Amino acid sequence: MTSFFDVLLGGVFHASVLFLVAAGLQLVFGVQRIVNLACGSFYALGAFFGITAVNWSIGHGAPQWAFLPVLVLAGIVLAAIGPFIELLLRSVYKRDEAFQLLLTFALVLMFQDVLRFFWGANPQQLGNLSMSYGKVAIGAVSFPTYNVLVMAASLAIAVGLGVFLSRTRYGRILRATAENREMAEALGADVRWIYASVFTLGTMLGTVGGALVVPTAAASLDMPVELVVEAFAVVVIGGLGSMRGALVGALIVGLTRAAAISFYAELEVLAIYVIVIAVLVARPAGLFGKPVE
Amino acid sequence: MTIQRRKILQGLGSAGAAVAAQGLLGVPAFAQSKPLRIGIIAPKAGVVGTIGECGLRGTQFAVDRINAGGGIAGRKVELVVEEETNPKDSIERLRKLVLQDKVDCVQGIVSSGVSLAMGAVAEEMKALLIFWDGTTQDGVRETMQNPRYVFRSTDNECEAVMASLLAIKHWKGKFATYAGINPDYSYGRNNFAAFEALLKKFGVEAKKVAEQWPKVGTLDLTSHVAALKAAKPDLIFSSLLFADLPIFMKTAHGAGLMDGKTRFAFPGAGFQHTLLKKEFTPEGMIFGHNTLYFALDNASPLQRYFVQDYEAKYKDYPHWEADRAYFAMHIYRAGVERAQKAKNAWPGQEDVINAMEGLKVESLGGPAEMRKDHIAEQTFYQGITTHKNRYDFPTLTDVTRMYSDQLQKPTGMDFWKWIETANIKL
Repeated sequence: MTSFFDVLLGGVFHASVLFLVAAGLQLVFGVQRIVNLACGSFYALGAFFGITAVNWSIGHGAPQWAFLPVLVLAGIVLAAIGPFIELLLRSVYKRDEAFQLLLTFALVLMFQDVLRFFWGANPQQLGNLSMSYGKVAIGAVSFPTYNVLVMAASLAIAVGLGVFLSRTRYGRILRATAENREMAEALGADVRWIYASVFTLGTMLGTVGGALVVPTAAASLDMPVELVVEAFAVVVIGGLGSMRGALVGALIVGLTRAAAISFYAELEVLAIYVIVIAVLVARPAGLFGKPVE
Repeated sequence: MTIQRRKILQGLGSAGAAVAAQGLLGVPAFAQSKPLRIGIIAPKAGVVGTIGECGLRGTQFAVDRINAGGGIAGRKVELVVEEETNPKDSIERLRKLVLQDKVDCVQGIVSSGVSLAMGAVAEEMKALLIFWDGTTQDGVRETMQNPRYVFRSTDNECEAVMASLLAIKHWKGKFATYAGINPDYSYGRNNFAAFEALLKKFGVEAKKVAEQWPKVGTLDLTSHVAALKAAKPDLIFSSLLFADLPIFMKTAHGAGLMDGKTRFAFPGAGFQHTLLKKEFTPEGMIFGHNTLYFALDNASPLQRYFVQDYEAKYKDYPHWEADRAYFAMHIYRAGVERAQKAKNAWPGQEDVINAMEGLKVESLGGPAEMRKDHIAEQTFYQGITTHKNRYDFPTLTDVTRMYSDQLQKPTGMDFWKWIETANIKL
């Protein structure tokens, strides 16, 4: 039973980070109909910027325990790049999807060099800060408190996003714009503003995700591509554009990976993509996606 | 002094056509006062970026000393540095160094994936090439039995053999189960297989309960650690050695994998020694520092001077890649000077190659030589981690020193057969 909980917690932790990146991808696609390959770059930017912010804050006398709020704040501040990138995307909103993919892929490559320019090419880490919050131990199951906080933060963001999109006036406007942009515009919705704010929110999910994960891992130039591949598996399983799909898809991918690693480590990637193929064959729109009419 | 791509650093004048035509073509130089040009190909980015950086610093240290002492047989050394990336692009850079920059010798390469492909190209081009850390092995099988122009480093499996021997020596009879977490490419696979082969050779009856093969660069090892914890091994053998090693150590510590009776052996830990902080890296583990242990008690004056210089310049402590790079430069220097002395004239490339075969030098980490089959022999260091030091990371106690002729297969022999039949002492 102890082993089961260890594996379960490992899978849920991975799913928590995946969810944040996939949620950003889903939000942007759901409203703006753009498949944003650069979501992995925002994740990497958040990780590198998070390290800089924490080192700066500790260097200026901030207590060590404050690194978690500093990381969240760093992710939020960094999302300020969102509106500028959205300006770039305006040129391809009405163009073929291939142009949109090319533009966002170009952004991935450009951000690689931005990371290299500001932070160098070597992986960077935050020492042992993640352990400064101690461990949660229930019986023989032991898990770093920081990882539990990341899972809780991810869950809170999922719930918050759900409430925002379904219960608030602005959320309803967003959903209306996602359903029918022209009609929303005709009814007075400021679509330009909506697109900018949605893209910024999507960016923020990625940057906060990257900042939160870095104390337990490392920031490296390989991050954007590594994570975006898994994020797309989440999106395919959950359904493109669905927030519920992002949550369920992330859990499926995270838990499948953890189980595969435990039972037969060589099948780590294969197990995930067997599910992806099964979903594509049986339910092409994904578990929560809308079928194309 | 900083090394910059495509920039010659230690020059005393431009290299003329005579120097360019010398070296690789084996044509005697007309102007032997011109600098020797040495091309370096080393990684600068990604998970091996820090490894390349340390190697470049070792090269720079060697060149500074050589030039301060009057150069190699009276000729100063200039470096032309290129980046090691994938095999295809790295080979293009080798061609560029040889054909365009007209270097006299090329050194470098950390990845065996690159060196395996590059070795054959260098032979075809007749370009003198000395690898820092790359081999020409396909798995553990040597692909170049009789190279003429390529000189390679010790077998990658040396550190695994040594860590296995130490694990058996210290812990035989104290573990009934074992597990592995090793990088999923030939290095990790061969190292773990070597560990298992040595357990068998020394009659250790232990049961394998888990094996994990994360890709190089995996940044979330939570599930891998959970799987290891679930298997409850008495001993974990891991040849993780890049940025993933500190992540593994932190994750394992956080998950309580290090709280119990599990013992650990990390043959390649020295690559990341300064990042493995005491807070999450316990005492009592076997750590391999390969061919340079920076805090060796009875280190040579050369090593002590190098470590002090490195610390002063870079606020850091060197690992073995600096030694590999230093060795490559010095075996070349010794080869040129030996050939020049024998010929009493500036030697051609063929003379230098002949002179390097069987040559012994003092490297940063200790005695070293180049075998006649162009494979290096060097001195290896491993020991048990301790926190009793002035650093924020563990160093070694009970340090074992072994020459690689006890750790790698002899010329032409199959690695697995060698493990079975060799008279290896614990």
